Amino acid sequence: MTRLILLFAVAWSALGQPRSQLDLDSFEKVWTTVRDKHWQARPGGLDWQAIHDEYRPRVEKAASHAEAQAILQEMLGRLKQSHFAIIPAPVYSVIDDSEGGPGSTGIDARVLEGHAIVTGVDPGSPAEKQGVRPGWQIERTHGIDLDPLIKQVGSNPAIHELQLNRAVLARLSGPVGGTMEAAFLDGSDKTIELKLNLTAPRGVLSSFGNLPTQHVWFENKRIGSTAYVRFNLFLDLPRVMAGFQQTVESCKPCDGLIIDLRGNPGGIGGMAMGMAGFLVDKPNQRLGTMYLRDSTLNFVVNPRAEVFTGPVAVLVDSNSASTSEIFAGGLKDLGRARIFGTKTAAAALPSAFERLPNGDGFQYALANYISQGGQPLEGLGVTPDVVVELTRSALLAGHDPVVDSALDWIRRQNKP
Amino acid sequence: MNRRVLLISLVAAAAGFSADPLPSAESVLDRYVQVTGGRQAYEKRKSEISHGTLEYTSLGIKGSITRYAAEPDKYYAALDIEGLGKVEMGINGPVAWENSALLGPRVKTGVERAEAIREGNMNSTSNWRKLYPKVQNAGVETLDGEECYKVIMTPAEGQPVVGYYQKKTGLQVKITTVSTTQMGDIPVELIASDYKDFGGILEPAKVIQKAGPQEFTITLQSVEANPAIPAERFALPDEVKKLVDQAPAK
Repeated sequence: MTRLILLFAVAWSALGQPRSQLDLDSFEKVWTTVRDKHWQARPGGLDWQAIHDEYRPRVEKAASHAEAQAILQEMLGRLKQSHFAIIPAPVYSVIDDSEGGPGSTGIDARVLEGHAIVTGVDPGSPAEKQGVRPGWQIERTHGIDLDPLIKQVGSNPAIHELQLNRAVLARLSGPVGGTMEAAFLDGSDKTIELKLNLTAPRGVLSSFGNLPTQHVWFENKRIGSTAYVRFNLFLDLPRVMAGFQQTVESCKPCDGLIIDLRGNPGGIGGMAMGMAGFLVDKPNQRLGTMYLRDSTLNFVVNPRAEVFTGPVAVLVDSNSASTSEIFAGGLKDLGRARIFGTKTAAAALPSAFERLPNGDGFQYALANYISQGGQPLEGLGVTPDVVVELTRSALLAGHDPVVDSALDWIRRQNKP
Repeated sequence: MNRRVLLISLVAAAAGFSADPLPSAESVLDRYVQVTGGRQAYEKRKSEISHGTLEYTSLGIKGSITRYAAEPDKYYAALDIEGLGKVEMGINGPVAWENSALLGPRVKTGVERAEAIREGNMNSTSNWRKLYPKVQNAGVETLDGEECYKVIMTPAEGQPVVGYYQKKTGLQVKITTVSTTQMGDIPVELIASDYKDFGGILEPAKVIQKAGPQEFTITLQSVEANPAIPAERFALPDEVKKLVDQAPAK
């Protein structure tokens, strides 16, 4: 229904104004946004007014929407900075993950080798109750075949794996109390069709200012003598930070600590510094530096009273973004943690997406962040020390190769 | 009673103010002391407890703030911010500290420490001569249609503080400076308004503070003048004391 309304709105808008005017309005929106919100007063070191004067006449003369779109993309390309992109309207509609809903079946999924694969099933969730298992391939949800959608979105170079995964996850959601009809390929590639209930997501409802209320969960456990901690967001500070502190303080006899940030899109940036304080015992250490238009913020770590000094492994994937990247990248650069998994989302900053008057999407970054090792995270992400890919076969066999690799490393650190 | 005394003070101050088109910085600052209650009122104030709220409007985050201060060098403030928990900060003699659920405990050093001690000074308005060895009237600027004297106050340690004082009322309406923090030097702007009488001293009930990317509003609700504050209120928390004990001796 939401999609119909969106399409209708765009169609109405297009009927109400000539196409060229919509493209001109979009040009002004993009140009003004960069002028007002870019972290440099001279965006990319350019005379931005001169850029306006150069490109506006070209948009005015554009013979088609596609040509205007290409001119806008070229203008943003002059910045030579990542996360400034024009996303064509059809692709933007697919990645607009607001179309789903808060209801969840309990399935976590990633795009692996071009297919949507179940990577986790929440305990007690509708999916677990109906027998869905990690490693199953999701063929169809809500009547939409996922492989063609993945192909369409994945072929656009402006779309990062994070957006692709989010587009898939959005199609696994819906209103709480509703249902999701889905087709899977199980471990023996047999098609299983299920009607799954959509329930409130795992975790405790948490709010922070104007951010939408979100479910936050935190888990910790022991795998042998290694502590393992995972949480889905850097939010609900009192509970998540207390849980992290409790994990560290009870971990004196542990041989190592695994912090699993896979799928964690970030949250409150300061929590990266606060958590690092439980792992770094030297004062005056930094995770990195954020550059805004009128100030420079150092992400400084204050050592806590109780600091865990044993081996630390941080697990990441393409859905680890923002605060997760600041945390993982900073600890890596400080030599305090070894990073396992796949490259992170390369979205350390709150890069925003907005729909333009002509229906296209516009992505822009608001600041620059340089990790302590001198590497920008925005656009580059954190490359793990040990790259470990999830595979469907490993998941079907009940293994998590990323956790296994981290455990193996921790055990080797503790060998006499 | 207080209001009447203050009104008289205002008239007296206006009458006594120099007709010089650009008065000295010293006279502008002294006038500010005068119009907010007079030196005697400040000298009577030996301790205070104030309560207020703070709101990050654009982020939709609210919180409360409670401050304790006592002459000559004691200060403690507790901020309770929705979703972030408690942030405490204090000054006890030469030690300036901060502790929060978010970032943990730390002891301020260098310029940051000097700034904290200066800002925590209970009667900083009347003590300006001690806090700023050099002051200069840099001219007149118009803010919101009102002419203001722009006074540059340079401390012994740290960045200059620029205060704007309305010609008409003598009240300070704006401060700009660059604050030295652990995260870096951050440009700060404070807009003061809604001056009210709190126990014989006029204070801005509303302060909008822009600090780098953040903007928030502090609303002062009440000030208790000269309460008895137990010494434990200003004692260093254990985690901070541990850091102080660990610090190399100077």
